[in-house]
Amino acid sequence: MAVIFRVLYCSRNTLVGSPAKIDAEIAQILETSRRNNARVGVTGGLLYSDGCFAQLLEGPMDCVETVFERIQCDPRHSDVTVLQATPVDRRDFPDWSMAFAGGTKRHEGLPAALEACSSMGEEIMETLRRVVGREAEWLAAAE
Amino acid sequence: MTKPSERMRPTVHQSLPSRGSALCEAPGQVLLAAIVDHVKLGVLTFDAELVVTFGNATLCTVLGVPAAMRVHGRALAEVLDCATVLDEASVQGMHELCIRAVGARQAQEGVFPASGQDARTLEVRVVQLDEATWMATLEDATERQAEEARAIEQAMCDMLTGLPNRQVFQQRATRVLDDVAAGRERAPESPQACLMMLDLDRFKPVNDTLGHAIGDSMLRLVAKRLRLVLRGNDVVARLGGDEFAILLEGLGERGLADLAKRLVDVVGRPYLVDGHVINIGVSIGLARAPQDGAQYDQLLRNADLALYHAKRAGRGRFIFFDTYMKARAAARRSLEMDLRKALALAEFVLHYQPQVDLERNAIVGFEALLRWHHPQRGVIAPGDFIPLAEEIGLIKPLGEWVLREACREAASWPGELCVAVNVAPQQFADANRLVGVIARVLAESGLAGEQLEIEVTESVLLSDEASVLGALHQIRDMGVRVAMDDFGTGYSSLSQLRSFPFDKIKIDKSFLSAGEDLDGQNAAIRAITALGASLGMATIAEGVETVEQLQRIQNEGCGSVQGYLFSRPVPADQVAGVISGFVFRLAKPLSAAV
Repeated sequence: MAVIFRVLYCSRNTLVGSPAKIDAEIAQILETSRRNNARVGVTGGLLYSDGCFAQLLEGPMDCVETVFERIQCDPRHSDVTVLQATPVDRRDFPDWSMAFAGGTKRHEGLPAALEACSSMGEEIMETLRRVVGREAEWLAAAE
Repeated sequence: MTKPSERMRPTVHQSLPSRGSALCEAPGQVLLAAIVDHVKLGVLTFDAELVVTFGNATLCTVLGVPAAMRVHGRALAEVLDCATVLDEASVQGMHELCIRAVGARQAQEGVFPASGQDARTLEVRVVQLDEATWMATLEDATERQAEEARAIEQAMCDMLTGLPNRQVFQQRATRVLDDVAAGRERAPESPQACLMMLDLDRFKPVNDTLGHAIGDSMLRLVAKRLRLVLRGNDVVARLGGDEFAILLEGLGERGLADLAKRLVDVVGRPYLVDGHVINIGVSIGLARAPQDGAQYDQLLRNADLALYHAKRAGRGRFIFFDTYMKARAAARRSLEMDLRKALALAEFVLHYQPQVDLERNAIVGFEALLRWHHPQRGVIAPGDFIPLAEEIGLIKPLGEWVLREACREAASWPGELCVAVNVAPQQFADANRLVGVIARVLAESGLAGEQLEIEVTESVLLSDEASVLGALHQIRDMGVRVAMDDFGTGYSSLSQLRSFPFDKIKIDKSFLSAGEDLDGQNAAIRAITALGASLGMATIAEGVETVEQLQRIQNEGCGSVQGYLFSRPVPADQVAGVISGFVFRLAKPLSAAV
């Protein structure tokens, strides 16, 4: 099996508008990335809080690089800081073409991570795992 | 039914011998016709009345005429009318070409569009064979032309990125600029054009450390990002290396600034290549037509000048060309030419400023300071030409001259006075050479190593190269002392002070300026002095101009000083006077010195 490569980055939202409009934009970003990622075997998670994004991408290296490059060119965010870029043994989010955590709850670590403090990487990963884990439980309970 | 080829025999037979061809004698006429049937050209002969006398098999294919059609005896116009691949205009054109050939009695050529399953091109050539016969050859040139077009495109294209290359850029830009010039004649306020020059920041280290394959991938990604940000009709080209150019039309200053900002942003975002996260940036210079130059060359030059300023201003930014840049560039060029001559013309001199040991109340040495006596401009201060000398690579020979001259002069001083010489970071680029030069000038002058002190700035250590540290140690092994200059202005990190056993720390004169925060300045001087003492390094304060400053220095424990309070830098022939004058002055209490 091909080596799984993981990239974790955070960036600042450049969207302007009402919260509802921003939510709609993010929903659109998610939909596009879910569609595109599933096609190339990339999974991951997106965290949005306090005007900042954190996104985790996992998959075959060349696919992750292609997806990453496309995201880089997106005008809807800026100040991209890569927190992790490394081969990993297994995927953290094997079941999510793009898990989403965000909206109402604040994730304190995100703005700090943008100050290029790479030690925040693990914390953000943890937050993503936790929130996504909880959502999965809710989804399971709702069914 | 007779085959067309048989009917044709007499014409072919008659025509070829008259052209003196050796081919026709050997094969029989049937064979000859068969051969003609197999050539890849459509061949057609007709007489002066434009009646067809022969057509080969290929002709039917090329024209899309039914293979069974008898062309012999038909009017040329009729045959052409049956050609399914020709539109009316092509039929007309080909017919006229043949008429012209008959009338002019010389070869005619023409190119006609044709349609088949896809668009095709026919090249037609009509020649006269004998008094009564003309031959038209029809070649399907579609493939050949496509091949040629591909070759031309490849020659115009940067193979790595697929962007147009410098030649194409120049052609297109020239055309656009001509249009701009013409448009403005009609309407002075009509839209303008802008030329952007782009140069990647920190690209060379990527190439050097990660290899050219990754460097090439980076260039391809940069090209894609540029294309993505730009509008469809903007022209972006790779001029070579990591240099790109963009031609934009119809954008005002605001629009250009927004676009440039976005280019800096997007190109400066991280790249992920082969598992490496790579951060580079881009600097951009912009020049607008027609105000910054109506001609391509001029506009390119000015955009390049603006790019140079963007780089100098700290990279990762864009700057519009401004006429002051041109004036500065011109002044710089003239200074550069003068500077290159100055060494040969011996226009440089050294002045010497005493360094005073406060405890011993004695001059212990002099710092050698460079002056340039420009024949027209008078004395030029080092700050006005040293940066330029560094930039144009003149600092090495100049630095060596200073070392040689200072040592020669110091050797004639009384006692064991020391001379301090500034050594620029660039001189450490070739560390072995520097060590050799110092050894040589000491030997030549007879000056003891202990009487020479070199002053280096922190940036020397920033390069973090083993060769620099190695050279510093070798220099020190010769007995030469090493001082850290301008301490407190740059990074001033403790780790740098510890990376090499400096003999002396020179406290920057900014700590003595008449600033508002005297307490803060004093604390800094005290801290540096204490730091020096704990590391076994002497401290010297420079720029001491008043008794009040001297007292502050003394109070904070600094051991020696240098400054106008004692003496301005003096020419070599006044050094002896300064020494004897100092002895005289010290007879009085310091507080009464001013």
